[in-house]
Amino acid sequence: MDRRHLLKNSLALGGVMGLGNGLSGCAATPPPTGPAPVKPSSATPWMDRPPLLAPVRAHADRLFDIKVCIRPFRTKGPNLDVERIGDATVIHNYGHGGSGWSLSWGSADMAVQKAMSFSPRKIAVIGCGIIGLTSAITAQRAGAQVTIYTRELLPRTRSVRANGSWTPDSRIALVSEAPANFGDTWEQMARMSWKTLRQYIGMAGNPIAFTDHYYLSDLPQGETAPLDPDVPPLPTPSWSGAPTQDADFARYDDRIRDLTPRTQILADDANPFPVKYARRGTDLFFNFSEYGHLLTSQFFAAGGKIVMRDFHAPSELADLPEKVVINCPGFAARDWWKDKAMVPVRGQTGWLIPQPEVQYGLTYRNVNTLSKSDGIMVMALEHGDMKGYNNSDETVNRAESERAVRTIAELYSRFPNNPA
Amino acid sequence: MRRGIVLSLMILAAPQSLQAQPRQSVWDGVYTEEQASRGQTLFQQSCARCHGANLAGTFETPPLVGRFIPYWEGTTLDVLFDYVSTAMPLDRPGSLGPSANAAITAFLLKANGFPAGTKEFGSGKTISFDAIRPKPQKKSAKPQ
Repeated sequence: MDRRHLLKNSLALGGVMGLGNGLSGCAATPPPTGPAPVKPSSATPWMDRPPLLAPVRAHADRLFDIKVCIRPFRTKGPNLDVERIGDATVIHNYGHGGSGWSLSWGSADMAVQKAMSFSPRKIAVIGCGIIGLTSAITAQRAGAQVTIYTRELLPRTRSVRANGSWTPDSRIALVSEAPANFGDTWEQMARMSWKTLRQYIGMAGNPIAFTDHYYLSDLPQGETAPLDPDVPPLPTPSWSGAPTQDADFARYDDRIRDLTPRTQILADDANPFPVKYARRGTDLFFNFSEYGHLLTSQFFAAGGKIVMRDFHAPSELADLPEKVVINCPGFAARDWWKDKAMVPVRGQTGWLIPQPEVQYGLTYRNVNTLSKSDGIMVMALEHGDMKGYNNSDETVNRAESERAVRTIAELYSRFPNNPA
Repeated sequence: MRRGIVLSLMILAAPQSLQAQPRQSVWDGVYTEEQASRGQTLFQQSCARCHGANLAGTFETPPLVGRFIPYWEGTTLDVLFDYVSTAMPLDRPGSLGPSANAAITAFLLKANGFPAGTKEFGSGKTISFDAIRPKPQKKSAKPQ
């Protein structure tokens, strides 16, 4: 889709733009005749006016996939420790919560630096999620021969059941349990990742891309949308010390404010949506299929090998031929390594049939959408960071995804050319 | 996995004196039919929701047949029992009792073609998980 073309159309309509006129559903509106339209006076600068936007076809029967994942949340933050198992040196790299895709390269860099300090010729990587795969490629780039031992290849790992946005401090640690220096570690990881991800922007197939995101509300900023009556309440925490609110989760995004743009408030005459309040940001996101294919190809092209294998006890690592091991098991660490700090955090995404003409995401009434090359992701957000905490039910809750689609459908139904 | 196969082949080919050493394997009838039957009922109640009634798994959930064998090969059965007991069912791990978990383990053995015997499987035993089926009787009766 030619964004400049859309922008041009949008601007041509600028003189008559009113509530909702930014959507392409209004593209049939005849061009204004007579005197040239007067450039509107607006609090939103001319260059920042949204282009014409295509609507999401939000129908529950267009949900062609629903994915459920368990975020590998670790209350103390990711485990990056080094330990000996027999004659093997194991460098841990797991427990990245909802930040794995975002922090992967930075975390891999830290793990590989530790691994290379033992001067190995060969390195084993356990796990082929996004942390394992980026660790393996980083180790190759450091000069090692790498074998990945995994029970699943990337498309069937929990990694690809994520949302897939740049969310580097999403459920990354609890405030009460994160180490005192973790903020510094996190920032180093995030900046290293950002620099590495940047190399993939603009490549064929858009493995990683930026997109505009609209934050829409019927209420002034800061006021929370009420929950739909059919949203189930949060369960009562079953043990002491559990988080009870968003503020209990560590946040560090203030440290990297320089990397991403601020959200802009859109004035009424620049708001393309039929809601009273709109802000717009620009976010980085991952197209799983293309990015995953690219990483896997890079791994093989550099001579990497993959061995399908499951592990059941740490002692089994001592039997591997490689004596330096980077351990990236994700949530499996809870049972395999008996890591009591691991807490499952369930997340579910619904996927509407791809619409390449939709080039934005939005957040409205506790629902998040993001248009990607492999589908339009729809995710319910109610209860904030507490949603899914200590919930390891990986079965699909279709009602949740359908409810989220209905919320979006209701938003689009408000446009005047839509009889609903 | 390769190590396990090699080990099994070595044992199959070992002299009689070595084979005479006490060693239990999943091929030795380490559960009963009745126990596996109870396990099947429990499986349908607590496990089939994710792994499927036929144990085939889904795109996201691992199958408990087929590759299940190489993935557990080389371990001992108490490791599998411990995993079932502490990590499963995924949405409420550790919620089933030892007797139920032993019965489910028995059902997994039966579903994967390992023979039943006369004694029930219990926790804490060390029984090797060997993938290699015994050779046909006329051959296995004559180890070299």
